[in-house]
Amino acid sequence: MPTKKATPDLILLIVTFTLLATGLIMVYSASAIWADYKFDDSFYFAKRQMLFAGVGIVAMFFIMNVDYWTWRTFAKMIIIICFVLLVLVLIPGIGNVRNGSRSWIGVGAFSIQPSEFMKLAMIAFLAKFLSENQKKITSFRKGLMPSLGIVFLAFGMIMLQPDLGTGTVMVGTSVVMIFIAGARIGHFVGLGMLGVIGFVGLVISAPYRIKRITSFLDPWEDPLGSGFQIIQSLYAIGPGGLFGLGLGQSRQKFFYLPEPQTDFIFAILAEELGFIGGSFVLLLFALLLWRGIRIALGAPDLYGSFLAVGIVAMVAIQVMINVGVVTGLMPVTGITLPFLSYGGSSLTLMLMAIGVLLNVSKHSKL
Amino acid sequence: MRVSNVTVRKRLTISLLVGFLIFFIIDVRLGYVQFALGNILTDGAKDLWSRNIPFEPERGEIVDRNGVALATNKSAPTVYVVPRQVKDPAKTAEQLAAVLNFSKEKAYQYITKSASIVRINEGRKITHEKANEVRDLNLAGVYIGEDSKRHYPFGNYLSHVLGFTGSDNQGLTGLEAYYDKDLMGEEGSVKFYANAKGQRMNDMADDYEAPVDGLDLKLTIDSKVQTIVERELDNAQAQYNPDGMIAIAMDPNTGEILAMSSRPGFDPAQFQEVNPEVYNRNLPVWSTYEPGSTFKVITLAAALEEGKVDLENDHFHDSGSVKVGGATLRCWKRGGHGSQTYLEVVQNSCNPGFVQLGESLGKDTLFKYIKDFGFGQKTGIDLQGEGKGILFNLDRVGPVELATTAFGQGVSVTPIQQVAAISAAINGGTLYTPYIAKELVDPRTGEVVMKKSPVAKRKVISEETSEKIRYALESVVAQGSGGRAFVEGYRVGGKTGTAQKVKDGRYMENNHIVSFIGFAPADDPQLVVYVAVDNPKGTTQFGGVVSAPIVGSIMGDSLRALGVEPRKGQLEKEYKWPDVPMIEVPDVVGMTKTELGDLFVNLKIETSGEGNVVVKQTPEAGVKLKEGSTIRLYFDNVEQKEDKKEEE
Repeated sequence: MPTKKATPDLILLIVTFTLLATGLIMVYSASAIWADYKFDDSFYFAKRQMLFAGVGIVAMFFIMNVDYWTWRTFAKMIIIICFVLLVLVLIPGIGNVRNGSRSWIGVGAFSIQPSEFMKLAMIAFLAKFLSENQKKITSFRKGLMPSLGIVFLAFGMIMLQPDLGTGTVMVGTSVVMIFIAGARIGHFVGLGMLGVIGFVGLVISAPYRIKRITSFLDPWEDPLGSGFQIIQSLYAIGPGGLFGLGLGQSRQKFFYLPEPQTDFIFAILAEELGFIGGSFVLLLFALLLWRGIRIALGAPDLYGSFLAVGIVAMVAIQVMINVGVVTGLMPVTGITLPFLSYGGSSLTLMLMAIGVLLNVSKHSKL
Repeated sequence: MRVSNVTVRKRLTISLLVGFLIFFIIDVRLGYVQFALGNILTDGAKDLWSRNIPFEPERGEIVDRNGVALATNKSAPTVYVVPRQVKDPAKTAEQLAAVLNFSKEKAYQYITKSASIVRINEGRKITHEKANEVRDLNLAGVYIGEDSKRHYPFGNYLSHVLGFTGSDNQGLTGLEAYYDKDLMGEEGSVKFYANAKGQRMNDMADDYEAPVDGLDLKLTIDSKVQTIVERELDNAQAQYNPDGMIAIAMDPNTGEILAMSSRPGFDPAQFQEVNPEVYNRNLPVWSTYEPGSTFKVITLAAALEEGKVDLENDHFHDSGSVKVGGATLRCWKRGGHGSQTYLEVVQNSCNPGFVQLGESLGKDTLFKYIKDFGFGQKTGIDLQGEGKGILFNLDRVGPVELATTAFGQGVSVTPIQQVAAISAAINGGTLYTPYIAKELVDPRTGEVVMKKSPVAKRKVISEETSEKIRYALESVVAQGSGGRAFVEGYRVGGKTGTAQKVKDGRYMENNHIVSFIGFAPADDPQLVVYVAVDNPKGTTQFGGVVSAPIVGSIMGDSLRALGVEPRKGQLEKEYKWPDVPMIEVPDVVGMTKTELGDLFVNLKIETSGEGNVVVKQTPEAGVKLKEGSTIRLYFDNVEQKEDKKEEE
C-alpha cells in the first residue's frame, strides 16, 4: 500500500482557486446585462454560479479525502451506470432537449448531463483497465482494441444526443491516456491514417461537409448563420487589445454575443482584460497541466498516474478546444471553459475531478 | 517518483511539452487576433454597435453675379421614429397619424419597422406649426429632425434656368440638375453606439462627422436685367396673349448670359401644377424654328467680309419679287421697295436684295459663314437640353435653297445660337461660347473653387466688317424696320424677324414667331437682347411691331441698370407714323400756375401739394418723353412762407 501524506499539492489548490475566483468575477461581468434584461436581476447568474462553486468546493474537499483506489473498486459499476444513463437520456420523456441536443436528465436545477459523468467514469475505468493491462497495450488486439472499443461505444452513444463537444473531449482524453500507457506509435499512425481515409470518404460522398467544417476559417462567408457566434466573439476579442477595455466594459455582452457567460466567456474576458488577462488565464491552465503531470509522475502506482493524467488531460483538452473555438482556430463545438464558464454540472464535476487529482497528489512524491 | 515505467515517464513528459506548445500556439493566436486583427475587428465592431443618423449637407445657394440669392434653403422639420424606443406603438401611430393627416395603419407600419431609424414620409418637410404639434404630443421615440427645403425667393423668375429640386434636394431640372454634384455637398452623420437591442450605450462618445455643404453657384445672370426682362414679358403676355415667348440678354463681349426667360413660365415650388413640357423645355436653348429676317445679319456679314457689297454705293432694284430657279420669291412688301442702296435693303429687310447677296456669295461661302457663326451645332452653353437646329445638307442646296437661306427661311436655329452669332457679328467678329455659371464658391471659406472665363471659339469676321454691321443695324433701328426698339441716347442697333411656323411640313397661316434681336450701344456694344413672341394675338404679326418695342424697353432700362452711359452722336431717329416724337421736358421749377398754362400742349400734368409755385418736378428738365406722357409737379405757397419769416 502506498504511503499516506498529509498535504495535497498546494500549487494545484491555489491555481484552482484563482481560476475559480476569476470565473466568478467574469460570470458576473459577462452575464449582468443579460441577467438584468431577462430576470431583472443582474446577479442572477453570478449568485447561482457562486452556489455551484460552493457545492463544488465542498465536493472537492470531500473527494480529496477519499482514497483514489476507491474509484478503482467502483470503476466498472460506475461506467455501467453511466452507460445506462446514456441509454435513458435518449428516451423522450426521460431525456430533455436543450439547444437541440437530448443531453439532460432530471428537472430544472436538478438536471444532470450523463455525458459529463461519462467523461469522468471513462477516466476512472481506463485508468484501472490500462494499469491492469499495461503490458498488453502494445498488442493491437489484446490491449488497444478493447480500450478503444469501449471509448468509441461511449462516443457513439454520446453522438446520438448529439453532444460533439463532450464526445470529443472524452475521446481526446482517452487517446492521451492510451498513449501514456505505452501504445505503439505505429498503431496510432495506422488508426490516424484510417481516420483520414474515413474522413476523406465522408467528404467525397457529401462535399458540403467540408464546408461546414472549414466555415470557421472564414466566418464572414455566412455572418448571420454558422459564422455568427465566431464573428461576435472576434468582435469582442479584437478591440480588447493589450490591456482590454477594463473590467465590466465589454460592449459585446450587450446582447451581441449570445449567452456571453457560458461557452464564450473567454471572449468577454479577452475584451475586458485584454491580451494580458487572456494570457494570464492560459498560464494558469498551463500551471495546472504542469502540476497534473508532476502528480502523475510522482504517483505511487500506474493507476494513480493514469488517473491523474486523465483528469489533467480532460481539463487541458477542454481549455484548448474552448479557447481555440473562441479565437477562431476551430469550428464551434459547444464546450465550456473549465472553472470559468457558467454552469452547475460543468463546474461541480470539474471541482470533483480536481478533488480526485488532489487526493492523488497527497500520495504522490512531488 | 514511483512510477518506474520508462515509456510512461517519457510519454508523460512529451505530453506536458506538447500541452505547453498547444497553449503557446493558442496564446499566439489570441495575440494575433488582438493586435494584428485588432484594428479591423474594432472597426467592424464599431460598425456593428453604431447607429447612424444622417446629417444632410446644406445645398449650395444659387446667386446672381452681384450676390443676390436666386435659390436658397429654408429649414423644414421632418419627423423621424426610432421604433425600438416607441413605448406604445398603437397609440403613437394613432396620434401621429392624426397630426400628420395620414392613415393609422401606415403610421403603425412605420413605427413597427425593424430598422434603427425610420423617416416618416408624410412628415417630411412639414411646417413649423405642424412640427410643434408633433413635439407637443411628447411621444417616446419620435423625433423632429431639421431638413432643408429648397426655396426660390423670386418664384417664377428665371425658373426655367434655375430648375428645381426633388424631395431629397436632388437637382431635377435646369442648373439645379446641371450643377447638382457641386451644389449637393456630402452627407454627414452622427454615430451613436447602441446595444443589440437598439438602446443607446451612454458611456460611448458619439462620433460626429460634419456634412460638407454644397458649393454656392454664382451666375452670370444680373438680377436687375432679369427683373426687367421678366416684367416686359409679363406685359407682353397681358397684351398679346401669345403661345409662347423667349427672351435672352447676353454680354456680347464675353458670352455671359445676363438674363434668360420664357413663357409659359412656372413656379418651382409648384412645378407639379404645370405640364412637364413647360418645365422640361428651356425654350431659349431648346426650341428650334425658322429665324426669319434676323438671319439676314449673317448673310450681310458674309457679303461684307467677302467684299461682295458696298452698303452705301451699291444699288438694288426691288420689283417686289425675284425669280430663282423657276420659283418666284416675294418680298414681304407688295410691289417692292423700288431702287435702294444696300443699306436701305438692310433697313427695309428686303428679301430680293438678300437673295442677290446670297447668290453673289455662292452656297459654299454662305454656308461656311453660317457654320462659322455657330449654326447647326450646339453652342455649348451650360444648360440642359440644348437644341442643335437644322441646316440644309450642302449637296442638296440648289438655287432656291440658297436664296431662301439668305433671308432666313428653310433653316432651323435656336434662340441662343442667334444671340451668340449676332454677338459675334457686332462685337468685332469673335464667336463666344455662351455661359451662365460664373463661379463655384465654397460657402465656408469664400474660396472660389471654379471660375469660368469667356471662351472665344473663333474669329468669324474682321473688326471692320463688324463695324459696318453695327452701323447698318443701328440704321435699321433709327431709320428702318426696327424703329420701335429705338432708345434715346443708347444707339440701339438690331434686326427684326418674322417667321412663319411650320406644322406638318407646311407653313401655317397667320401664325408667326415674331422676333427682334438688338444690341447697344452701337459704338461699343455692351448688351445683346433677343425677344421672340410666338403667335401674338390682336396685332399685326411683325417683329418690328411686337418684339422691337419689348427689346427697346429691355435695352433702355437694362443699360441704365448696368450703368452704361448714354452716347452722343447717335443716328437720329426718323419718325414715321405711328411713332410718337419725343419731347424734351422743360424746366418749370419756380413757375406759377398761370405761367404753366401757356407751356404744355402735349404732356399731361399731375399736380400735388397746395400753393401757387412749382417747387419740384419729375422727370427732371432735359429728359425726353413721348408725346402725351405724364409729368408730376409739386406745388407750394412760397410767398406765404416768406411772409411768415418777415413777421418773425
